[in-house]
Amino acid sequence: MNLKISALEFVQEVKNGNISAEDFVAKTLERIQSVDDKLHAFLSVNEEAVDKAQKIDKKVKSGDKVGACFGMPISIKDNMCIKDSKTTCASKMLENFVAPYDATVITKLKEQDAVFIGKVNLDEFAMGLTTEFSAFGPSKNPWNLDYVPGGSSGGSAVSVSAFECIASLGSDTGGSVRNPASFCSIVGYKPTYGLISRYGLISYSNSIEQIGPLTRTVKDAAFMLNIISGLDVNDNTTRDNKNEDYLSEIDSGIVGKKIGIIQEMVGDGIDPAVLSATKDAIVKLEGLGAICEEVSIDMVKYSVAAYYTITATEAGSNLARYDNLRYGYDFSVEGYEFNSYISKARKNFGPEVIRRMIIGGFVPSAGQAGKYFLKAMKVKSKLTKEVDEVFKKYDLLIAPTVPILPFKIGEKIDDPVSLFLIDINTVTANLTGKPAISLPFVISNGLPIGIQLLADSMQDKLLLQAAYALEQTVTLPEVPI
Amino acid sequence: MVTEEEIEHVAKLMRIDVDDHKEFVDKVHAMIDYFDVLDSAGVESEEISMHEIPISNLREDKFIPFNEKLIDKLNNYKGTYIRAPKMST
Repeated sequence: MNLKISALEFVQEVKNGNISAEDFVAKTLERIQSVDDKLHAFLSVNEEAVDKAQKIDKKVKSGDKVGACFGMPISIKDNMCIKDSKTTCASKMLENFVAPYDATVITKLKEQDAVFIGKVNLDEFAMGLTTEFSAFGPSKNPWNLDYVPGGSSGGSAVSVSAFECIASLGSDTGGSVRNPASFCSIVGYKPTYGLISRYGLISYSNSIEQIGPLTRTVKDAAFMLNIISGLDVNDNTTRDNKNEDYLSEIDSGIVGKKIGIIQEMVGDGIDPAVLSATKDAIVKLEGLGAICEEVSIDMVKYSVAAYYTITATEAGSNLARYDNLRYGYDFSVEGYEFNSYISKARKNFGPEVIRRMIIGGFVPSAGQAGKYFLKAMKVKSKLTKEVDEVFKKYDLLIAPTVPILPFKIGEKIDDPVSLFLIDINTVTANLTGKPAISLPFVISNGLPIGIQLLADSMQDKLLLQAAYALEQTVTLPEVPI
Repeated sequence: MVTEEEIEHVAKLMRIDVDDHKEFVDKVHAMIDYFDVLDSAGVESEEISMHEIPISNLREDKFIPFNEKLIDKLNNYKGTYIRAPKMST
């Protein structure tokens, strides 16, 4: 059984009767059993996955209507609710929380006969970019086990990269889908803000975060987007995409498309190997008929500070609900005064969450808001105007997904500002609500480098077409695990 | 420049009590200091743009029955009430 196939290949194989969903899911579970001790992508595995796949096989054999996924094993970042399963957010605070309902993306995938193979690791409450801040230990990069896999959707990226599932859902607040996709050499897609419902995604920074697929190919990302995008009455920030088919015409090519090279994302601090990969990607895009020119977006320089100010503020508000009275771990209220109880209970948050909560209380507070939060909101507004202006002249933008190569576990964990700056190339898409994709491009000294493309709002189809065109020029080695 | 006292005050207001106090304050300090870069963005006269969301497409405000008793999932409850600690000693 070949587990190293794409989502679309899997669907075709099951549809044609060449493989059964049950066998594939069983082999996938064996794969998890054999490699996940080393990788630690999974926080929990769905023991009922084989039974579910068996039922889908029966539908295939009997000629009943089968959903588009045909029993495809998918992993889910553990900050999305699946009814009656644990949803921990990789936090001790929610270690035993069992979700009472399904997130909208889960409902949609269930309707299309996806099989949830397990819940995967993340930085606690999605706050981080290495997966080192998971309360249950870091995930490891399958390209080199001493290195971080990126984050916060590190478990999602590892599970797809190491053939422990076919596709995964992550969430992207400042690059949390694209960064680990780049570090693990897979595709990571952050859609236009509002394209995918956030209902059932445990909130970190509502105005910015989006759910997105992590897949082996661009076509698979388009396939997933077809299933999970669209309006949702339970999330009034969702946008009507008129049931757009992102797979159709994906091979339209990019002849004549104008692509801006964001200068602020290829300047100081970029690793030479990453810069070289970006130049190669530009040459390839030009070879495909695109016109590439340098563009400057001045506010990018301030985007990281604005991003962390805004997201910490929203995190401070969102995480205020964790008082251990309604959600939380087993810790009796007997003998405690109200404030001291909550303070003690919150010691179960990890260090990064506590730091961001404190910042989230500080930056919007009376006397500080003008200097920090309001200024960050102004930078966000000006950045959006600048990017909108650029998209009047260009169809797409290009930059490396991450300015540096994957680094060793523990190397940067004690330097929060240095970790901040790794987000410099990804936060712009979040602050402006634009769609962006990370595409695996090259392996440099055994470590992956991803290239990022951005498009204007609701131009997700064009973005996927461009990414697909570039993907066809790339040949990559197989992950060494 | 933010002071340690200010950070400690906010942490107390947010009911966050940490053991390795100095390490937390130092790191939060470094993070907030980095935000000073916003001072050079030159955005004082910029208007904050708000994304308007129409309320016409909100879901209907009606009671949807839930089959299970959600309160049974809580650690601390008595009858139909959430149990909280005393407000003062």
